[in-house]
Amino acid sequence: MFPLAGAVTILFWLAVLVLIVGLWRRARLWRKGRKARMNWLGLLAIPKRYFVDLHHVVARDPYIARTHMAVAGGAIAALGLVGINYGLLLYSPGLDWGIAIAALIMLSGSAFVWLRRRNPPARLSRGAWSRMPYSLAAFALGLVLLGVISGMSLPVSGLVAGFAALILLLLLAGTAELALGIGTGGPMKHAVAGLLHLGFHPRPERFTHPSTGLKLLDLQEGDFGVEKPADFHWNQLLSFDACVQCGKCEAACPAFAAGQPLNPKKLIQDLVVGMAGGSDAAYAGSRSPGLPIGKHFGAPNAAILPGLVAPETLWSCTTCRACVQECPMLIEHVDAIVDLRRFETLAHGDIPGKGPETLANLRETGTVGGFPHAARAHWAVDLDVRQAQPGEAIDILLVAGEGVFDMRYQRTLRALVKSLKAAKVDFALLGTLERDTGDTARRLGDEATFQTLAKANIATLDGLDFKRIVTADPHVLNSLRNEYPALGGRYAVLHHTTLLAELTRSGALTLGARDDTRPITYHDPCYLGRYNGEIDAPRALLAGMGVAVREMERSGLRGRCCGGGGGAPLTDIPGKRRIPDIRVDDARETGAAIIAVACPNCTAMLEGVVGERPEILDIAELVAASLEA
Amino acid sequence: MRYPHLLSPITLNQVTIRNRVVSTAHAEVYAEPGGLPGDRYIRYYEEKARGGLGLAICGGSSPVSIDSPQGWWKSVNLSTDAVIDPLARLAETMHRHGAKIMIQATHMGRRSSYHCEHWPHLMTPSGIREPVHRGNAKIIEIEEIRRIVGDFARAAKRVQAAGLDGIEISAAHQHLIDQFWSPRTNHRSDEFGGSLENRMRFGIEVLTAVREAVGADFCVGLRMCGDEFHEDGLDHETLKQIAQAMSETQLIDYLSVIGSGADTHNTLANCMPPMALPPEPFVHLAAGIKSVVTIPVMHAQSIRDAGQAERILAGGMVDLVGMTRAQIADPHMVEKIRDGREDEIKQCVGANYCIDRQYNGHDVLCISNAATSREATMPHVIARSTGPIRKVVVVGGGPGGLEAARVARARGHAVVLFEKSEAVGGQINLAARAPQREQMAGIVRWFDMETKRLGVDRRMGTEATAAMILGEQPDIVVLATGGASHSGDVAGWGVADGLAVSSWDILSGRVEPARNVLVYDAVSTHAGAGVADYLATRGGTVEIVTPDVKIADDVGGTTFPIFYRRLYAMDVVMTPNHWLDRVYAEGDKKIAVLRNEYTEALEERAVDQVVIENGILPNDALYWALKEGSLNRGQVDVARLFAAEPQPALAEDLSGDRYLLYRVGDCISQHNIHGAIYDALRLCKDF
Repeated sequence: MFPLAGAVTILFWLAVLVLIVGLWRRARLWRKGRKARMNWLGLLAIPKRYFVDLHHVVARDPYIARTHMAVAGGAIAALGLVGINYGLLLYSPGLDWGIAIAALIMLSGSAFVWLRRRNPPARLSRGAWSRMPYSLAAFALGLVLLGVISGMSLPVSGLVAGFAALILLLLLAGTAELALGIGTGGPMKHAVAGLLHLGFHPRPERFTHPSTGLKLLDLQEGDFGVEKPADFHWNQLLSFDACVQCGKCEAACPAFAAGQPLNPKKLIQDLVVGMAGGSDAAYAGSRSPGLPIGKHFGAPNAAILPGLVAPETLWSCTTCRACVQECPMLIEHVDAIVDLRRFETLAHGDIPGKGPETLANLRETGTVGGFPHAARAHWAVDLDVRQAQPGEAIDILLVAGEGVFDMRYQRTLRALVKSLKAAKVDFALLGTLERDTGDTARRLGDEATFQTLAKANIATLDGLDFKRIVTADPHVLNSLRNEYPALGGRYAVLHHTTLLAELTRSGALTLGARDDTRPITYHDPCYLGRYNGEIDAPRALLAGMGVAVREMERSGLRGRCCGGGGGAPLTDIPGKRRIPDIRVDDARETGAAIIAVACPNCTAMLEGVVGERPEILDIAELVAASLEA
Repeated sequence: MRYPHLLSPITLNQVTIRNRVVSTAHAEVYAEPGGLPGDRYIRYYEEKARGGLGLAICGGSSPVSIDSPQGWWKSVNLSTDAVIDPLARLAETMHRHGAKIMIQATHMGRRSSYHCEHWPHLMTPSGIREPVHRGNAKIIEIEEIRRIVGDFARAAKRVQAAGLDGIEISAAHQHLIDQFWSPRTNHRSDEFGGSLENRMRFGIEVLTAVREAVGADFCVGLRMCGDEFHEDGLDHETLKQIAQAMSETQLIDYLSVIGSGADTHNTLANCMPPMALPPEPFVHLAAGIKSVVTIPVMHAQSIRDAGQAERILAGGMVDLVGMTRAQIADPHMVEKIRDGREDEIKQCVGANYCIDRQYNGHDVLCISNAATSREATMPHVIARSTGPIRKVVVVGGGPGGLEAARVARARGHAVVLFEKSEAVGGQINLAARAPQREQMAGIVRWFDMETKRLGVDRRMGTEATAAMILGEQPDIVVLATGGASHSGDVAGWGVADGLAVSSWDILSGRVEPARNVLVYDAVSTHAGAGVADYLATRGGTVEIVTPDVKIADDVGGTTFPIFYRRLYAMDVVMTPNHWLDRVYAEGDKKIAVLRNEYTEALEERAVDQVVIENGILPNDALYWALKEGSLNRGQVDVARLFAAEPQPALAEDLSGDRYLLYRVGDCISQHNIHGAIYDALRLCKDF
């Protein structure tokens, strides 16, 4: 019996014990959350979710993907072998060599972690995370030495005893990070929480198809959203615990970039603080712009706002989902924010800026601006377009959205009608029968108004005879396609760019080449791209007009928000810059003279940028103009 | 929602109009011989339809009877079936752009001239002569009344057959129907005269016959006056009674209300309010009538911008706004309002060049927009050139130079504009100094903003020399250097000797006005009367002398009355038919020697100051300096220019030192603002 081996066996089982106790403690925190439907089968899906879905996100940063593969892969392999060889008292030199090799991989990975940490990007948290390369390297080195020394089966000597002491020391340090760290909320908790989170993900459908719609709130059951950490579902709390503070969300967040007091990473960390109780003093990442660190306190059953999370943080979010898109741990930040907004709105009615006025308008008039419904079809009064009527069958129902009251969007709609007519599409307007979809109300937390409006629209739509719905407003698209089904409204809904692209493919619409040679870039609306995955149709249309799009660095599914979503223009939380200014700067970098858009909100936001800027034109306008050519 | 009232639709009978902006009935003077709308006529309206207007009511005063003449002012002739096809083309064109189109129908009674075409005997209820048109007329007889009522019905049928959206019957500006209404012109004792009920009889018979002819579903409107402003005419209260009665007949779908009678020179000037009148001076009359009727009310008179129109509509004063001159100045006004490009709207300033031309029997043209009514050849929207990009140097920032720079820049060329003063505008800036003429500056304002918006390289405060121009390596040089006061024309006036000063000296403020002033106006445009007004307004005792037959003889019919109102009120002595022979000094007085044109008798005036207005002398020094070196030797191919075709020289190789030299406006010979702008547009549109 080699004393080192016995010591490692003891250490191993001790660590397992510590881990179990730690996990138990951590699980007790998660269990403070509300019940959620338990899907144990999700646990079986963890490998696929890890190696496919999660890896898909992580792989966008190849450096850290490979590094993580080396560290985590090496660690898991080495620990597995240690468990077998030492936990089961096999003490096989062959397995020792296996441990050495796996640990060597881990060690090399740790070296790359160290390299990255030497000059880390601002988005990475420091603090406990900064010791990771060292604790991981210590552990890996300990295992390497353990493997080598034990594998060589050296006779006992003073030197070997010295090494044994060193190995134990190193392993002890590593075990502290791994086993103790997980239980005490150290960085390594992400490994366990992250894997469990994959198994019990609050939005499991995202692993089978894109899923972006907000969850229905059961108002009858008195569910008014989240006031305190314990009001989150337990698996949401678990998901927060999975955060690795990599700051990818922070780097993608338009509000953070604009200096508004929102940092999604900090928000998630605040929720972790709330779940565990305490203050944010230990947080070592970038702050929510303009807000101090160490002044926020929370407890599982204490209200999150305003003590733990500032209301301005909540209302800065544009719900653009860039954070969700970037999160390697697949955390659903936007759901959490909307959960919090719901309580603020439904229980307190406390919404900044023009929020209350807008919600009152929506409640009382079914329009964002408090306009008469009779005016909904004014934009088309001279276009000889049918108004949908019950009993009259049509192919396409045009649901315009609230933009009908805005003359800028009317231009887009008029252009769209021109193209639909040119393609001889059989269509009619929902027109005066339309009510706001409830998108804005829902994102401002007013679930009740959303459901009222949605039910009214569903009742109207169910009384009409159409095959498909088309809209030029991605927010309408998102509501109808992704959020109405939960209330029983199931329709085939298309964005206008999708339909126009389809019409060009079928030959119903022939695009002319643009004679205007000014360079064009395309801005992906969040609710079209990230929310609905449509990034190809607009580009296909532009290509069809002979336009070589000058892509912005942040485009497609990773496009940067215009600042117009989630009611953010209404709550209007001040920052250092305006989001649309940043976005127009993105466009300027491409040298584009025209920013093609496909959303009335984007149009309004980008056109609101003062001074010299590229012209903003909806794809519908470009298409209509190309028909003249 | 911007402009929630202005841009909301309204339905008149079965016609849904997309917004509240109307081009109300006005005499266009564009109809082809026989009174038929032709290509020019249709394009003129099409441009407004394309530009977004809701409703156009064309054919101001289109007669329904052959004894109400139209030929001498090229109006539309509704008395013949031949009008149906061209009107149908007009209707189809307007509808293609989503606009609605109606036409005004009328019998003008005494309000015309007999001495053309068929030499008809004009007729009116009581045979009273119409002063403005020297409209001698007979007393209308009952048989003629019956026939004319039938003519209205037949005309309405034609309008309906052509596919127009409605018909407007005119009882405004003292046409036959309101000649019956007005005690000023109706002294009859039969069932068509005396009581108000009797006086309204003819009009109601007309409306009844029209309604019978077109059926219940066709839009029929009535245009009427809100107050004749004549002691012996119809006042507002009476017209409210009439309006209420007409509304209660349920024969009509809307009322269009204007202010002022129109049978004297002075009242006529109110009808198309010139810039001297306040904005929407008579909207209260329309609002008064709206208060007693149940049908929509339309009003047009100096409603010239979107904010103003929205305010009037939002205040509930009227239901539709006529923005007629506003759309003559910019037929794309509505589209620009809709698109939030209000700053790009070429605003009507109320210079009334349009209506003053019509007064003289000329076609309606806009002082600041040379494309209006020339849509076949002149673009409202300048397309970018597909040819080579040129360096264009424009010299002079008056209206001609501004238009040249604007058009050339919009074509995509690199344009440098030299202007020697610190502000653009040229002579318009002087014109705007005269009292009640301030709005002339509005013409400049648009060009100023547009040349900035388009990115013309404007070198202000820079008097260009030939060397500077050539230093720009131009491909094309456009001289728009305007002119200088031609007060030195006659040596005897003594301007060179300090015995007289020019109107420019006074208006620009270079010379202080004196107490007792003689203004000699050799050309009778707005400038002479304007400087007399300027001097009198500052307390001077002023006499204005001209060899023409009347003061301000070359000022149009809606503008000279404004000068006369002011000059008479300030006791300015008006002395036409006299030449200024010479001026000499006697003590501290200037003695002006006047010679009667017809008797040759000499008169003298002892005054403190003699002010000369004699038009301009072209500034052509740069032209002569640059002519020799230019490829085209400064020549314009006038045949091509008048045919609106590109100048042949534009096809030449302009590389290296080669350049073309052109001139526009007053620097060739004295034209007017429209002339300078037209010169520039027709030349530069092909650059």
